Amino acid sequence: MDQVTIPENLDELTEDQLGLLEREIAKKYMNIVPWGAVAWGLGNCMIFISLFPLVLLDMVPLWIAFPIATLNVALSYLPSHEAQHNIIAGRGKPLRWLNELLGHVSTIPLVYPYRVLRATHMEHHAHCNDPELDPDYDVHARSTPDFFLTYLKNLQPEGDRNSAYGECLERVGKSEFMLDALIFQGTYLVIMFAMAWTGHAIEAAMLWWLPKMIAQAHLLYYLAWAPHYPGVEQGRYKDTRGWKSKLGNVFSAGMQYHIIHHLFPRIPLSLTPSAYRELKPILERRGCDLGTL
Amino acid sequence: MQLLIKIFLSPMAFAVGFLWPLVTQLLIAAEVMTPGMQTWLVSALIVLPFALMAQFRGSWIWIK
Repeated sequence: MDQVTIPENLDELTEDQLGLLEREIAKKYMNIVPWGAVAWGLGNCMIFISLFPLVLLDMVPLWIAFPIATLNVALSYLPSHEAQHNIIAGRGKPLRWLNELLGHVSTIPLVYPYRVLRATHMEHHAHCNDPELDPDYDVHARSTPDFFLTYLKNLQPEGDRNSAYGECLERVGKSEFMLDALIFQGTYLVIMFAMAWTGHAIEAAMLWWLPKMIAQAHLLYYLAWAPHYPGVEQGRYKDTRGWKSKLGNVFSAGMQYHIIHHLFPRIPLSLTPSAYRELKPILERRGCDLGTL
Repeated sequence: MQLLIKIFLSPMAFAVGFLWPLVTQLLIAAEVMTPGMQTWLVSALIVLPFALMAQFRGSWIWIK
C-alpha cells in the first residue's frame, strides 16, 4: 500500500489541510473486500449450528463443545459489524447480496437480528456517548468491576439494556424491526425449551445459554465499554480512544484500534491497525486519547 | 396474541420451560437425586423463588 507523505510539522497545516491528509490516508484502506471476515462469519455460524447434532449424537463430548460454542458466540458479532457498515458491498454493488447474507447469518449464535443491530449501531455512531441518544450508553461504567456489576444488572428482566434498542428504533421510526427481534428471541426460546423438555437441558445450557452470557459480557466489555471509556466526551476525536489491552489485540477483538473505526467506519477491522499506525501523528495533533498504543 | 407473546417471553415461562428441567437434570447428573417425581418437586422448589423474584421484582438475583 502506498505511503502518503506526512509533513514533519503538522502544526503548520490548516484544519482543512489536516482533514484532507487524514482522508487521503484513510481512503487507501477503504473499498477492500475483507474476504477473511466473510469466511469467518459464515464458517463460524456453521460450526456453531453443527455442534448441536454433534453433541446430541454423542460425536463430540460436551466439555469440548462448550468452549467452542462460547468462542463461536463471541466471534459472531464482528463479521456482521462489517456488513452493518456496508464494508463488503454497498447498495447497488454486485456483492451486496453477500454483505446482507453475512449480516443476517453471522449473528444467529448471538440471537441478535441484523436489521436491529444495524439501525441501532448507526445511532451509536451518530450520538456516541450521548446519555439520551446513544443506545449503548447503558454499558458505561466507572471501572472494570463496575462494568461487570452493570452487565449483571442489565441481564435482569427489568435491566435498562432490555429496552434500549426498542426505544432507539422507535425514535428513529424503525420500530417494525422489533418483529425481527421477536422472531429471533422466540425461536431461541422454542429451541431451548424443546431441548430442555426432551432431556437435553444441560446440553442447551452449555451450548447456547451460558456461551451467550459469557460472550455478551466479552462483546460489551471490549466493543462498547473499553474503547469509549470514560465515555464522558462527545465529538469526532473525543468519543473513542486508542488503548492498550492487557490481554492483547486478538483477545480484545481488535478493539485497541476502535478509534479508527469511529473515524472511518468503512475501513475493515483487519486493516485498522495499519491505518492507525499511519494516522497516528494526525490523531496526536488532533488531541485524541491514544493511551500507550 | 400480545398477551400470549408476553407470557411466552416472561421470566416465569423461562423458569418453567428451561430452568426447571435444567435443575432437575443437573440434580440427576450430579447423582444428588435419582430420577422421579421427588426430584421434579425439589427442583421446582429451587427454581420457584428465583422465578417469582424475576417475575415480580424484575431481577433473578434481587439486585437491579
